[in-house]
Amino acid sequence: MQTKTKELDPILEVNNLFASTEDLPILKGVTISVNPGEIHAIMGRNGCGKSTLSKIIAGHPSYKITKGEIKFTGQDIKSLEPEERAQSGIFLGFQYPIEIPGVSNLEFLRVATNARRKFLKKEELDTFDFEDLVREKLDLVKMDSAFLSRSINQGFSGGEKKRNEILQMALLEPKIAILDETDSGLDIDALRIVASGIKKISNENTGIILITHYQRLLEEIKPDYVHVMSDGQIIKTGESDLALELEKHGYEWTDNFTKEF
Amino acid sequence: MHIIEEIKKNELVRNPSEIQKICLDKLKLNPLPNIKSELWRLSNKSKFSSFLDFSNINKESRMSLPYKNISPNIIRLIIGENSSINLEEETYSIRKLKDSEIIKYIKKNISNFDQNDHWSDLLNHCLSSKSNILGLNISGNQVPPIEIFSSSSSECFNAKTLILFCEKNCKVDLLQINIGNKNSSLSQSTYLCLEENTTINHGVVSYGEKKSNLLNSLNVIQKEKSNYSLGSIHFKFNYARFEIRINQLKGAAKTTIKGIQITKKNDQIATYTKIKFNGPNGFVDQINKSLADDKSHAIFEGAIIVPKVAQKTNASQLSRNLLISRHAKIDTKPQLEIIADDVKCKHGATISQLNEEELFYMRSRGLTLAEASKLQLSSYFKEIIECIPISKDRWDLLDVLLQEN
Repeated sequence: MQTKTKELDPILEVNNLFASTEDLPILKGVTISVNPGEIHAIMGRNGCGKSTLSKIIAGHPSYKITKGEIKFTGQDIKSLEPEERAQSGIFLGFQYPIEIPGVSNLEFLRVATNARRKFLKKEELDTFDFEDLVREKLDLVKMDSAFLSRSINQGFSGGEKKRNEILQMALLEPKIAILDETDSGLDIDALRIVASGIKKISNENTGIILITHYQRLLEEIKPDYVHVMSDGQIIKTGESDLALELEKHGYEWTDNFTKEF
Repeated sequence: MHIIEEIKKNELVRNPSEIQKICLDKLKLNPLPNIKSELWRLSNKSKFSSFLDFSNINKESRMSLPYKNISPNIIRLIIGENSSINLEEETYSIRKLKDSEIIKYIKKNISNFDQNDHWSDLLNHCLSSKSNILGLNISGNQVPPIEIFSSSSSECFNAKTLILFCEKNCKVDLLQINIGNKNSSLSQSTYLCLEENTTINHGVVSYGEKKSNLLNSLNVIQKEKSNYSLGSIHFKFNYARFEIRINQLKGAAKTTIKGIQITKKNDQIATYTKIKFNGPNGFVDQINKSLADDKSHAIFEGAIIVPKVAQKTNASQLSRNLLISRHAKIDTKPQLEIIADDVKCKHGATISQLNEEELFYMRSRGLTLAEASKLQLSSYFKEIIECIPISKDRWDLLDVLLQEN
């Protein structure tokens, strides 16, 4: 596959990945490679395996890898627990962020941030230092500090949940962020806020995979590569204009594509 | 069953008091509860036997309190150790009940006791000596928080009784801490009488050490416009049983009950509640939670009784249960008995496991499985713990105990 910065080692390499859940095959040979600084978009019909791919990279225990490999900064991560993957710099922005009643958002964010900082051999933050940091990051997604005192995602609107995901991304400073339909359920203003937050957080060392159905997020964050997934495989890869073609013709247009890899 | 044998042989108590005589007579024919009855059928027979196996000969030992530094404005009492308490202040008074008042009150109650339904109280009164009965009369709306300790001594069966009268317009935070020492059985019977317009925020924290047992009976009588709130937690007992009976004498009172029982290893902890409305416009909101791990067994049975006279009753009873281990067991049975036709009553029960998606969400942010589980469990406890009137100092103790368990 073409990459923008061939001279760099990929952050993430997924090679010929097959995976299933409860003996039902979902991924049927996915290959993708993301270099530092690159933004990739994955598009495809509902149920084609996009979200499954993101969860498998993050280590969801419900899925079983039957073949292939996932390398993160050159290391095979298949045997790593979800928390080990997260601490080492893999971030999954959930399509449907989970509500956890009774668990303080602030405390959760602090424990998560310190887990990442510990991995990076940075000093862990006490409650006061963490509050300073989180307030600074709140500005990125234009969130009110009142959200911190609430339970994780409980009673949040769809847009607030997605902004909370980006806030977490900002705090964890991942090497690769996989954002699963971060644009779904957002109005135009919220989409701009979220997109702006993502752009501010990402840098030349970060790789981003945007899973989306719509062109409008890609107008805000221009991808370097667009991949089309169908039935557990990436069937076409192109540059950002591929998303425009999809928008124009719909997914039926991809039905006749043969698998490129 | 050492104690039962002694009841049968009429050798349980030497020189029994009037109350003890009455109760021994009530138990003599049927010293055990009916194990086939709804109230007792789930009790583990071998554990129940072990509960009754200790000697009731009272070894004199001072109770070791779980925390030392208390705020000077908290009134601390230890059943069996405090000989007198009489406080008369401008805004409140706390007076120890006279022996004659205690005898009169208990006699009046036990005359109506059914052997099976009130077996725990009858046994308690057979064994509870005069020095182990604490009776208080409280009045005033600025009463300092009161904490009352009750404990059992190792290798002993101890019975303790608390009677508390709250005068009209009284408002008080009451925390009861029941501690079961290693290899022991504790029987605690508590009677609370709430006059009109009284408010009691009542916390019950009960925990034991290795192979300790508890029989904890709570009888609450509420008059009109009284407000009774109970937050309770029971954990770390080989065998424990918490019986709650609430009687809204004329309805038109408010009752809130939030309790949790945590069972581990081979423990069995049960909560039985009976809430009765004897008049209209009563209110109850009850949540009982169980958390069962390892090979333990948690039980909840709750009955809300709404007779015809109790129109406009508003009652809610919810049993929420968390099974942590595939070998643990939970039995739950929330029940409504409604005769009145103009009421709002609901009940329900859920049994679930730790939510895998919540755990994955937290783990995907770098929290270990242990950290994520702890956060999830603490959120499960929080709703209940918040109802226990407990200061930060004492909360630290509870936090430590919960983490150990």
